[in-house]
Amino acid sequence: MAYEEPITDYDHIVENCTCAFCGSNCDDLDFLVKGNHVVGVRHACRLGASKIMEDEDQRLKVPMMRDENGELQEVDWDTALDAAAELIANSVRPLFYGWSETSIECMKKGLKLTEYVGAVIDNQATICHGPTVQAVQNVGYPLMTLGEVKNRADMVVYTGSNPMNAHPRHLARYSVFPRGWFRQRGRFDRTLVTWDPKFSDTAKMSDIWVPFEENGDYGFCNAIRAVLKGKELKEDVISGIPKQDIIDLTESMKNVEFGALFFGLGLTHTLSKQRNIDIAIQLVQDLNAYTKWVLLPMRGHFNVNGFNIYMAYEMGFPYGVDFCRGYPRYMIGETTTVDLLNRKEPDVFLVIAADPGAHFPGGANMHLANIPVIQIDIHWGPSTELADIVLPGTFIGVETAGTSYRMDSVPIHMKSAIDPPETCREDEWIVNELYERVKKIKEEAK
Amino acid sequence: MTYVDKPTVSNVVKFDDPNVKKVQKIKVMLNTGTDIYQGACKKRGSTLKDEYRKVAGIAYMDPKDMARLGVANWESVLVKSDWGEVVVYAAHSRDAPHEEMIFIPKGPWANVIVSPETYCCNDPTYKGIEATVEKSDKEVLLMADLMRSVYRKYTKNEKNVDELPSLGEMPVYRKK
Repeated sequence: MAYEEPITDYDHIVENCTCAFCGSNCDDLDFLVKGNHVVGVRHACRLGASKIMEDEDQRLKVPMMRDENGELQEVDWDTALDAAAELIANSVRPLFYGWSETSIECMKKGLKLTEYVGAVIDNQATICHGPTVQAVQNVGYPLMTLGEVKNRADMVVYTGSNPMNAHPRHLARYSVFPRGWFRQRGRFDRTLVTWDPKFSDTAKMSDIWVPFEENGDYGFCNAIRAVLKGKELKEDVISGIPKQDIIDLTESMKNVEFGALFFGLGLTHTLSKQRNIDIAIQLVQDLNAYTKWVLLPMRGHFNVNGFNIYMAYEMGFPYGVDFCRGYPRYMIGETTTVDLLNRKEPDVFLVIAADPGAHFPGGANMHLANIPVIQIDIHWGPSTELADIVLPGTFIGVETAGTSYRMDSVPIHMKSAIDPPETCREDEWIVNELYERVKKIKEEAK
Repeated sequence: MTYVDKPTVSNVVKFDDPNVKKVQKIKVMLNTGTDIYQGACKKRGSTLKDEYRKVAGIAYMDPKDMARLGVANWESVLVKSDWGEVVVYAAHSRDAPHEEMIFIPKGPWANVIVSPETYCCNDPTYKGIEATVEKSDKEVLLMADLMRSVYRKYTKNEKNVDELPSLGEMPVYRKK
């Protein structure tokens, strides 16, 4: 590991900024600012620091459109917005995807536009914790805030997630290492357990690692539930774990004072999908017959939970909401983005604060090569290679203030520390401007 | 340590190990997901750069599997699944042993070979995909070149996309 000199060359410090990376939304960061650039970040993890000290080379600074040869060309804001509005106004099945890395204020404008044109609005939950949301609708949500875990938990279980890679400060700030009111010795007062087929970086630092086999999560959780209910396990090895180990683990889970189960995409991306989460939630419910247990999905983006909360509050459905009939509809597998793309349904795709080029399966992305794509983002990414109109937004939490929801549904105000580049516009302004222009086109056509 | 040229990988298995039986191709289970190097590079925005191909265009494999195939760290392998095929770097996994299981961090390279099938459940199957791995002498493509060769959005009429000059590591657009 190379040694890096501490950063001393800065003008001023902006304290208590919120990190715009993962669902942990750490709100104790200090930005070291020099000449309207963040040159250093204190307290952030490697992921947060690298996002905040962005790559200036690839920052989208000007609106762009493809010419007849398919090359991107710089245009002015009016031209780009008019062209985008024209595409949206004349489309039959527009799909507005993304939103998880922008503010609630921007989603508000986005919902207005979606409702007006009768589009489908969806966010990244559709490719990550969508099954979790379905399971919550099936069997409930034994939720807590992360502060409770910090102050009370004496056993923390991570399954199907690798927070040391994806949420590096989660253990340090909320769950395992901090000293809490009832856990005065911090890490020494807690047992860290990882259930994962892989000897992940989190498993390496755990007290107990349970390496069940691939796709074994469903059977493994059910075996614990069976033991909890006093049933005899009929097989000697279940999901690759010896029977006695399951009985011992169940016993130790029953005998804690406060347990927390965190789960990630390892559960939602395997074949059993939402059924895995159903069982995990029911396991926590069963454990509550003996002691206090809670559960929380490890949400990825800093505002992916915010979109689900906001949409559920406004429209009654968490994601994949379709307005084509004039009223909101939500049908898993029908109005969700990857299914729509697999069926080649959308005729215009607007992507805001997301990167389908990097994160959708190729089979779904193939349809993006056939339809116009409008991108609102801050960096040149894989999606820019598929985008016909590119509108440069601003960086929420660094350049623009906004509201976001942490993974445990606590709303957090993210303040701005520096000014955005002059040629960029706020996401909220761009979406509102699209709405105004689409409205004008539609009304003139009447 | 926010900037890296490439991930640090260990080098633990000798290729002339007499106990290892050499094979041309192995069947594996493919998992994708996030990884700290991929996350840091992607969210910083350095996706066109060589660094992104080194952190996301990489298959973390069990060292024994690599010895069986006769590939060393940072050599190319061809990964094929029912959904497509892609050339990525091979590297020793820090989570080994996990024989016949490979991990490719999420990104444009992994996308080519993961299943878009949601089973009517909105979430594509990103994990637990059957694939094969074999040694390849092709170079791993940079992100922009990969997107062009896979999706061909603006090169539909070109016959040999792979022979076009590389789009490079910097944004290409015409200024006003």
